[in-house]
Parts: sequence; structure tokens; C-alpha cells
Amino acid sequence: MFLILIKLAWRNILRNKRRTIIASIAISIGLAALIFGDAFMIGMMDNLIKTATDSFIGDAQIHRQEFRDTREVSMTIQELDEVGANLAKEANVRYFTRRTFSTGMIASSANRSAINLIGVQPSTEKFLSQIDDAITEGVFFQKTNEHDIVIGSKLAEILEVELGDKAVVTVVQAKSGDYFQDWFRVSGIYYFADAAMNSGMAFVRLKKAQQMLAIGNNVHEIAIKFTSTEYGQDKQVPFWETYSQHGNEALSWTEILPQLPKVFAMSEYSKYIMGIVLFGVVIFGIINTLFMSLYERMFEFGVLRAVGTRSFGMARIILFEAGALAIVSIILGAILGFVLTTIFANVGIDYTGNEMMGVTVQEFIYPVLTIEQFTVYPLAVFIFTIIAGLYPAWHVAKMSPVDAMRRSF
Amino acid sequence: MEQIQKTDVIVTESVMKVYDADGIPVNALNGVDLTIQSGEFTAIVGPSGSGKTTFLNIISGLDAPTEGKVWLSGKVLSEMGGNELSDFRRDNIGFIFQAYNLIPVLTVEENVEYIMLLAGVPKTERHDRVVAMLETVGLKDVEDRLPTQLSGGQQQRVAIARAMVSEPAIILADEPTANLDSKTGADLLEMMRRLNDETGMTFIFSTHDPMVMESAKRLITLRDGKVDTDETK
Ligand SMILES: Nc1ncnc2c1ncn2[C@@H]1O[C@H](COP(=O)(O)OP(=O)(O)OP(=O)(O)O)[C@@H](O)[C@H]1O
Ligand SMILES: [Mg+2]
Repeated sequence: MFLILIKLAWRNILRNKRRTIIASIAISIGLAALIFGDAFMIGMMDNLIKTATDSFIGDAQIHRQEFRDTREVSMTIQELDEVGANLAKEANVRYFTRRTFSTGMIASSANRSAINLIGVQPSTEKFLSQIDDAITEGVFFQKTNEHDIVIGSKLAEILEVELGDKAVVTVVQAKSGDYFQDWFRVSGIYYFADAAMNSGMAFVRLKKAQQMLAIGNNVHEIAIKFTSTEYGQDKQVPFWETYSQHGNEALSWTEILPQLPKVFAMSEYSKYIMGIVLFGVVIFGIINTLFMSLYERMFEFGVLRAVGTRSFGMARIILFEAGALAIVSIILGAILGFVLTTIFANVGIDYTGNEMMGVTVQEFIYPVLTIEQFTVYPLAVFIFTIIAGLYPAWHVAKMSPVDAMRRSF
Repeated sequence: MEQIQKTDVIVTESVMKVYDADGIPVNALNGVDLTIQSGEFTAIVGPSGSGKTTFLNIISGLDAPTEGKVWLSGKVLSEMGGNELSDFRRDNIGFIFQAYNLIPVLTVEENVEYIMLLAGVPKTERHDRVVAMLETVGLKDVEDRLPTQLSGGQQQRVAIARAMVSEPAIILADEPTANLDSKTGADLLEMMRRLNDETGMTFIFSTHDPMVMESAKRLITLRDGKVDTDETK
């Protein structure tokens, strides 16, 4: 029986090829748009996560608990040696680097500007941030000159300094509250699309920063890169608890940048809205198509009913037809979605310089294909198409054979 | 020789049918009392609009009478539920319509076996019966053709094969020859008559065709929804 239903459905949708093609193109464009939209969102999220975590934040950070709120220079990480030794043994930690933070003032012969002075370990910092990649002039700490300073191009412009020029940095020391001043020579200039990073930061060697701030060997932050980004998003792993002892706190990037997960939740939501709107349009298309073909074949349906097909059997004929239409459309849509997404996954979509939720996009967005796009979405399209077929199917089921045959003349 | 027991296949009792034509009631049948016995070869004739089609629709359970009762093979049609009635039609009535009997996307074989599929007859049996039935109606090697690849007369023969293949109690045909030329119509009629003689299956058909009336064993004339004359030859 199923075989004859499949034959009926398949041959009937091939009967009016043009109509079938138009309907399935509409459905397949819907599916392709959904696949592409999803791939784009994933690409955008990856991009934002990567931008946020790769450019400076890392996958996780450790601070003294009070540090993030107070930004007090004295709030350094407790038991630093133990923490460092443990991190070195963690299987999931690929890199980590130490940093100091302090606000301060940088002055050149021409101008002055407030900055965040960051003390870094160049050898490991380069794995955690992209400052080294963003250098446009000079280098990111190559020799051992403790008076090297690396600044953004915008800051260089404000200070009217060039590579090799001198600048004086003033900071406030930890315990005494005394001002401390030292001179530096611009050894590297970087360019970042992010305005705050480009104009408001200056990097010096960790040792020098510690000495200026009079905090001994202590640091304010350890930035960590895990072997996988997912590990950093998993709050179940023991890592967070282990490193949130001794008054320290270990935070994942999702907590450091809480806007980002919110964007993702929002984009999930907008994906559903988009999906529902698309399917709404598609459903009316399908209902319309099925009804058109139904009215053309009234007499046939009358005959089928007369010779003994039950009303459910009649409905099933329409549902199989909806299913056949869905399958054709899904194949078409999946191919279309795959081709479209693959093209853009290779070419990339230029969103650079646009700021999204506090993160400035630094690289092209590359849409990402997933299995889900070719399983869950087509299944959803199939189910929606069948649901759309319910109305015409119900119509056929309750139709009287006499009316059906009369009305067709 | 065994005497064939005649039984009442169809009994109608004061069947009335009132249609509603845009608010105006149309009395298509005005109290029809008829009994049709097994093995009959009966033509229902009468002027256009006299109620022939309506009568056939009501005795086959395709339509319900406004008043009155219909027994088919001893069962009251109006007492049957939807699926029961569908199954009853499938098993007890063979239909031949004036034209477009066949599902155009199905082959001849698929058209003929459709009812057996509904009834759950196994595949090999279906095939054997289709081939045998097609041979009976004088068609050979057309199983795999589509209806559009057949002539009008051939299509009607396939319709007869479909109607008869599951050996129903009666065959109902509403103007089966109306769309055929007279020669083809005559051949078809002769064949139905032969099948009636050979199998004892009951045939009831409506017609305007004098030739059909000629070969009928019983002629019922309807006029204004009533039995006008009823003669058995
Ligand atoms: N569904 C309907 N709605 C309204 N009136 C109807 C309907 N079906 C039939 N009639 C009317 O009932 C009467 C009987 O119609 P019916 O089709 O039974 O006649 P008929 O004898 O088969 O005619 P013909 O020889 O033209 O086929 C006619 O007046 C017709 O107009
Ligand atoms: Mg008629």
C-alpha cells in the first residue's frame, strides 16, 4: 500500500512540473536561508569569541577577588608561586601569562594622555594576545632593554611620537601611594581596530612594571589559553574551583565579557524568529500548491473515494504528496545552502571595524557549516511541510465523492 | 444442474432525495421503491434530470437519501459509519463512471489492483487476478501502460476490469457508453452482457443509449424522480 502511495505522490508532483519547481524553490530558498543564517551566526560568534579571547582576554583569567572591582594596585594574586606551578601542570592549559595593571599618565615633549600601563611577559604574552601580530612599526619587545614601551598608533599620534622617541610614564605606587616616574623609548607601535586598545594602553616589561609599582614579584592577572575554547565555556570543570582559592578568583571569558553570551542567546532567539517567519511564508506556499493540484484532480479524488478509499486514506494521499514535495525541496535547499555557505566560508564576509557588544570585529566572518544544519533543519522543513499538508488533507478527507465528481464538470 | 438462488441485492423503500440548489429545494427522487435481484442486467433510463444518477449514488452509498431506506446485500446503508461504508463499497460495489475512471498517473495494472491493495490482497495474487481480468475484458499486454496511452473504449474496459476484479455483489455504471462511439459502445455492452451471463454478477446502469436499452434484461424508466415503467424482458 505504501508503495502505491509513494508512486501516486511522486508521479503527481511530477505531473505539473512547473508548479512543483516553483513551490520547491520557495521552500528550498527558505531552507538555504536558514542554513546560511545559522552558519553565519556561528561564524560571527566564533569570530567575536576569537576576537575577544585572542586579542587580549584569553579563555580565562585569575585575579585577586577584589581586583576587578577596585583595580587597586595592591590587590595582587595570592600564592602566586603555587598558582603558577599548578597551572604549568594543567593538561588543559596550553599557555598562560602574567600581567600587571595600573592607570597612569604618559607624557611626550608634545602631549600627555591617561593610559592603562600593562606589564607583560613578552615570551608568553605573544600567545595570549595579538599585540605582537598587530605591530606596524618596530617590534614587540625583542632585546632586553627595560625601557622599551609598546603603544598603539592612535596614542602615538596623540603624543606625536615616533619609533625611538622618548616618553615619561607616571604611576602611583602600591603601599605608599607615592608617584613614581620613569622614562621609556617607543620600541613598537601596533594598530588595533578597537579604539580603547589603540589609544588607551601601553605595554612594558613585567619586571619594570613591578618595580615601578613596588609590588615585588606580584601580578594582578594571569591570562590563560586552554587547549580548547569549549573548555573555557564549561563551568562544570574543576578548574574554576581549583583556582578560586586563597582569595583569588578564576573567571572564564564568558564572565569577563558577559555581553557576549547574551549576544549569542539573542542571536539564537533571532534565528528562531527568522525560522518561524520563513516557515510561515513557506507553509502558505505549500498549502496553496497542494490546493491547486487538489482542485485540478477533484474527479480523481472522487473516484478514489467512491471505490472504497477511507477518508484517512484520502488524507494520506495528500500527506504523501506534501512529503514528496518536502523531500525534493530539502534536497534542493540543502544543496543551495551548502553551496552558498561554502562560497562565503571561503571568501569570508567583511565586517571588520564594526563593533558588536563591546567587541570590535577584527577579521572577516567565515560562516561555519554544521551537521545540524543538514539534519535538524531539513527535518524541521519536512515536519512543517507535513503540517502545512494537514489542512488540504483534512479537506480531501471530509470531501463527499459525489460533490467531488459533480464539481469537476 | 445447480439452481442459482436468486436473492435481493438491492431493496429501496420510499427513497426521496431533495437537493438544495441555492436555496431552492429540488426533488430529485420522489419515493422510489425497487428491488434488484442478483444476476440482473438492468438499465435505468429516463430523460435528463429524471434522477438516474441520484438513484445510483444513493444505492451505492455515495450519497444519503433525504428519506427512505436502502438495503444492499442485506445491510442498511444509512446505518453504516464512514469507514465501514468505505470498506463496504470496496468489497461489494464495482463502479464504472461515464469517463475519467482511471487515475492518470497509475498504470493499468496499478489502477486495477488499487482496490485489492486497499483490501490487502497479497502481491502475487493481485498480479494474477489483474492479468486474468484484463484478458476477460479483452485487453492483453497493456498492464504497464498509462491510461492516456489507451483509447476511450480500452479505458472503459480497464474500468470494467477494475470494477469486477474483486468480485463485488453488483456493478454500477452511470452512462458507461456515453463517451464512446456507437461501435465501441456496442462492443463494450456486449462484453458486459457476456460477463453478466458468465459470472452471474449483477449489473445496473443508467443510459440514454437505445442500444443499451435494447440489450438490457430489465428496463426501469424514471420520470421526475419516480419509477414510471418497470419491465422485465
Ligand atoms: N448536488 C445537487 N444539487 C442540486 N441539485 C442537484 C444535485 N444533483 C442533482 N441535482 C438535480 O437533481 C435532479 C436529478 O439529477 P440527476 O443527475 O440524478 O439526473 P439524471 O437523470 O442523472 O440526468 P442526466 O441524464 O442528465 O445525467 C436534476 O434536476 C438535478 O439538477
Ligand atoms: Mg446522470
